[in-house]
Amino acid sequence: MRRYALTIAIRKLFASLAAALVLCTGALMTPVSADTLMMAWSQDATGLDPHKQTAFSSIRLLELLYEPLVRLDPDADIVPAIAASWSFNDDATELTVTIDPDARFHDGSAVTSADVKASFERILNEETGAASRSNFTSIASIETPDATTVIFGLSEPNVPILTAMASINSAIVPAAAIAAGSLGSDVVGSGPFMLDGWNPNSNASLSPNPHWAGGVLAIDGLEISVLPDETAILAALRAGQVDFALINDPFVATLIPDVPGVQLIKKPVLSYHVLQLNPSRTPLTEMGVRQAISCAVDRQNILDTALLGEGTVTGPLTMDAYRTDVSELFCYERDLGKARSLLAEAGYPDGFSATIMAATGEPPTAAAEAQVIQSQLSEIGIDLEIEMKELNVYIDAWLSADFDMAVALNGGRPDPFTMYNRYWTRDGNLQKVANYIDDTLDRLMTQSREETDPVKRKEIFAKFDRHLAEVSPWVWLYTGYTYAAALDTVQGFEATPTGSLFGLSAVSIVE
Amino acid sequence: MTIIAILLVTAILAEFGLMPYDPLSQDRTARLQGPSAAHLFGTDLFGRDLLSRLMTGISQSLTVSFLAVGAAALAGTVMGLTAAWFGGLWDGTVMRVMDVLLAFPAILLALLIIAIFGPGGWTSILAIAIVYTPIFTRVVRGPALSLKHREFIDAARIFGSSRRYIMVWHLSLNLVAPLMVQVTLALAWALLTEAGLSFLGLGTQPPHASLGLMLADARNLMEIAPWLLLVPALALMLSVLGFNLLGDALRDLLDPRTRRTLA
Amino acid sequence: MHYPLKRLLVFPLVMFGVSVFVFIAIRMVPGDAITAMLGTESGLLTPAQREALRAYFGLDQNWIIQFWHWLTGVVQGDLGLSTTFGKPVLRVILTHFPLTLELAILSMLIALGIGLPAGIFAAMRKDSAADLAVRVIVMIGQSTPNFVVGLLLIFVLSVGFGILPQMGTFVPFSEDPLRNLGQMILPALTLGTAFAAAVIRISRSAMLDILCEDYIRTARSKGIPRRRVIWCHALPNALIPVVTLSGVEFGYLLGGAVLVEQIFALPGLGRVVLDAILQRDYALVQGSVLFIAFNFMVINLLVDLAYAALDPRIRLDSN
Repeated sequence: MRRYALTIAIRKLFASLAAALVLCTGALMTPVSADTLMMAWSQDATGLDPHKQTAFSSIRLLELLYEPLVRLDPDADIVPAIAASWSFNDDATELTVTIDPDARFHDGSAVTSADVKASFERILNEETGAASRSNFTSIASIETPDATTVIFGLSEPNVPILTAMASINSAIVPAAAIAAGSLGSDVVGSGPFMLDGWNPNSNASLSPNPHWAGGVLAIDGLEISVLPDETAILAALRAGQVDFALINDPFVATLIPDVPGVQLIKKPVLSYHVLQLNPSRTPLTEMGVRQAISCAVDRQNILDTALLGEGTVTGPLTMDAYRTDVSELFCYERDLGKARSLLAEAGYPDGFSATIMAATGEPPTAAAEAQVIQSQLSEIGIDLEIEMKELNVYIDAWLSADFDMAVALNGGRPDPFTMYNRYWTRDGNLQKVANYIDDTLDRLMTQSREETDPVKRKEIFAKFDRHLAEVSPWVWLYTGYTYAAALDTVQGFEATPTGSLFGLSAVSIVE
Repeated sequence: MTIIAILLVTAILAEFGLMPYDPLSQDRTARLQGPSAAHLFGTDLFGRDLLSRLMTGISQSLTVSFLAVGAAALAGTVMGLTAAWFGGLWDGTVMRVMDVLLAFPAILLALLIIAIFGPGGWTSILAIAIVYTPIFTRVVRGPALSLKHREFIDAARIFGSSRRYIMVWHLSLNLVAPLMVQVTLALAWALLTEAGLSFLGLGTQPPHASLGLMLADARNLMEIAPWLLLVPALALMLSVLGFNLLGDALRDLLDPRTRRTLA
Repeated sequence: MHYPLKRLLVFPLVMFGVSVFVFIAIRMVPGDAITAMLGTESGLLTPAQREALRAYFGLDQNWIIQFWHWLTGVVQGDLGLSTTFGKPVLRVILTHFPLTLELAILSMLIALGIGLPAGIFAAMRKDSAADLAVRVIVMIGQSTPNFVVGLLLIFVLSVGFGILPQMGTFVPFSEDPLRNLGQMILPALTLGTAFAAAVIRISRSAMLDILCEDYIRTARSKGIPRRRVIWCHALPNALIPVVTLSGVEFGYLLGGAVLVEQIFALPGLGRVVLDAILQRDYALVQGSVLFIAFNFMVINLLVDLAYAALDPRIRLDSN
């Protein structure tokens, strides 16, 4: 015990020494410029080509630099960006877009229909390797009658294509940059900011785009630093070294309201935490077994443990406009008795063994979720072995459906069709991952693509939501929040359900 | 010695399941509780008893370290002895390979190995063993080389002992001392490396416990539940301290040079 | 000087070994740059798209051709292009190396500044209470992993004192020395603790050894004052093992301190390699590992030379 005491005494000594040093240097520190927003995040962008980068972290940077034709506002409604207006013909096979005549690239040149055409042709070109290509394969022709009009001819009715165009992965880039092949290294966009310098995994400097059609920004610039440890971000906020920060870890986020002078801005997101079952693996081939798992899982308890309650239990559809009340969904109230009898009817009265895979640190809650699910399913005799995998290895296994169960955080889209057609249609690109399809799901998805009446679409999706939860190919758990933390001096930021930082274009710093 | 005895007893108790609670069983009603009579060191995020987790954690950390160092010592001894004995091309090849391994920073080498084979307890053992093999090879080769030319080996040769007998018996005997010292010190290092790897999420995998993993889990909860950080941190320090002290004691005992200094 | 010459001849051989090893090892890691970049979205790629991307990342050639291209480049000083940074690997390394170098130098200064006086002091008062205290501190210092020291420092500062280490965008020393030192002091202290413990331990035992040597006893018996004996005769010799130790430790530190850089958010070489492994940025992994190994070997060679220069009794060319 004497050694314990001594250790602590020594630590204290070091600590006070260090504290003294920090205080000394801290006092000499002055902000670079009063109106430059100092920002921090824990994950940096991985590249600059807006058509190729799909990581959340890259998209968040690129949304400040480039613009798509349309954008989603904080309520997930489609609003103008480069496009000033748009319209479908009656059977949704032709989309006409009018470009905002004020739209300018960073170099001052106007955004024209030729740039739009070249951008979509680049996305559709297989050699580009753009993942968003799959959303646009129904584009049969692109016509440009004048400099501000683009007409997309579609090979089949496709209403959700407009929401797909709201993604930064379909950003409009200068035709000249495509010809020069400079998209990976130089950024010439039409977004609110310009990129002055970028050191990956270290820092980025942004300045306002003087030609931006959206108006004049209230800040002089944006200095982004990468602090991989979010407790360090919290420390930097407390010390006033950072004005604004993105937080991924809900544990860190829950501490922010207690920090004086710092506000927490949170918004429910579209991406969902899910327990993916693999219906091609015995005994998950049996619907009864999958339903038993759905009944045995206590979603609120997982949420309380893994996310400290920071989220909302959800069914498959996570967007406010289409969300179903969870009490109407199959077995969202934990029912162990029902779970056991379903399991017994399916021929597994004593349960079975399986593996559950999760990615290390992505999302940060994955390991905790796997552990709680393991504990909950052991109550109906299902014996799970947790397999933690490095992210890339996990993705490879996920894409080749090489797992029994997987804990995942899957991205959401504002339109249910764009969000789920890849999984729950017969020819969906990721049907081989989902490994479950039935006629009802396939039919409802097709109807929603062709239906132009919003009320009828809503009815279609409500049926889809209930049916998917009932056949339980996956067990949907909950959605979390996107968090931004800002000093009280930072005002005007609005978060969106996609986690976009576009709201920074409206931010001002008040003293 | 006392520390090591306590560690070993703890580990053995844990192996036989003699713990206050099941280290894996979650109690939803008792999450993140501070130290109390029911839970001596409190509970973690899942409502698991921290003392029980600490006990299995120590057991797991020790198992990984012992197996890794054992493997490294064995591989290193074989490499070092054969290199010294056969000399020539084999010696050159072995030592160059060891140079290559030594030129890598230990943690990066371990990271690469784990990236290849996937994270987990067995991979940590493999990674740590590979990192420490060159050190053991050098420790063994040096003395082996000088012993090879000493008279008693020549004498044994003259008396007709077989090559294998000479190599195994005489050399090993004279190598035991430095090897033992190296083993205890390497155990301390291995504990640190295991903790570091688990801390990065690459070592022991949940729901099982190891000291490094417990530290990693505690990091973001530092402000809500400081005991989660302090308990495994102190346990880790004490464990490493124990092996360092044992290593020192052994060195003083076995190394003739220090004995003279002490006299 | 036969021995260093031999080491110099072995040098390129070992570097070649390192190249081969890292080249194969990073390619044995499952997953490639395409999944690292696109994540699960890479499942949406058509086969033609995938082929185009493989060609873009240079993954479509066989290993031997890739290795040959890379190796001929390395010999000409071209380490290739980093796929994540979109810049030459050498430039990426050189922008991050100054931080690692500074951190290593600061840690060494802290270690020697605390370690040497403490070690000598303890040796001169052998078995006193102060000596005992120093030895206990050494044991504890050596037994605490760096990342635990770092965590505890942050913990004590933020929870205990409500004071926070300086984080935020890293500022190079050349731009704002004070701010830079404010950012570096905690990590340097973290790395310096264990290093200092090792220095104390080595300098203490070396000093003790030497104080027992015959020539020191002779000097003492000749009536030369104790102080003079220690400063002029004992200390220079006691420094030899400290130089060796510092050199080796310094070599390790130049390889980047992955965990400490991670905890304190420093963009040093260790994190570059870690991120490069995670992103499957083959050229960057190869280049930076080669760079680290090169530094490590050069420093070890220098340490050997210094060792020979400092201690005339050692004849390195004997074997």
